[in-house]
Amino acid sequence: MNSKLLPHTYQKIGWFLLLPAFVAGVFFLFKSNFVDGPEMKTFGYFGDELLGVQKKAAIRIDDIQVIPNVISVLFLIGGLFVMFSKEKKEDEYINQIRLKSFQYSVFLNYILLFFCILFIHGIPFFHVMVYNLFTIIVIYILRFQYLIYKNSINE
Amino acid sequence: MNNKIKVERAVNNLTQEQLAEMVSVTRQTINAIELKKFVPSTVLALKICKVFNKSVEEVFSLEDTD
Repeated sequence: MNSKLLPHTYQKIGWFLLLPAFVAGVFFLFKSNFVDGPEMKTFGYFGDELLGVQKKAAIRIDDIQVIPNVISVLFLIGGLFVMFSKEKKEDEYINQIRLKSFQYSVFLNYILLFFCILFIHGIPFFHVMVYNLFTIIVIYILRFQYLIYKNSINE
Repeated sequence: MNNKIKVERAVNNLTQEQLAEMVSVTRQTINAIELKKFVPSTVLALKICKVFNKSVEEVFSLEDTD
């Protein structure tokens, strides 16, 4: 059906990356103050200094926090592998479930964001922004797995 | 859309699993079609009818709501 999906093996690799990254990510968000922790130098766009005291080039080599970056990268790679790999036996019904789950996750994601914007303010909203980086992937996977599960028992 | 897949399966003495294998889909897909939870593509409908040696109209029919 859909030849643009990755082979089924990628799904296992995806879960292997996604689950530890998810646990580590949740743990990090609750336990970390986002400031302490190992840093490393990397190249990229850093923008201007927050208070404009020290003028540096916007694109430069500078320090970044290692842990949140590694967790995010692993989470995204794992999440994308799980989302975009074939089921053991992929057919048009699975494909329809896939598309419905995409629609559901994008819709629910923005409904949640809508209420977060209305009711969460200040520093806690920073957490909302961090969660929101990953919610489409999480909601999609939960919805897709639920529909597949429901379909396999509800007969 | 109505379909007579379950009846035709019985006539041809096929399980959902066997029919699914013959048309290269999962058993869940055949089940979903029988329960009218899923409308198959034209390609899959034609494949299923080929197995039963029937025309599409003999197996699938429109409902008033379609």
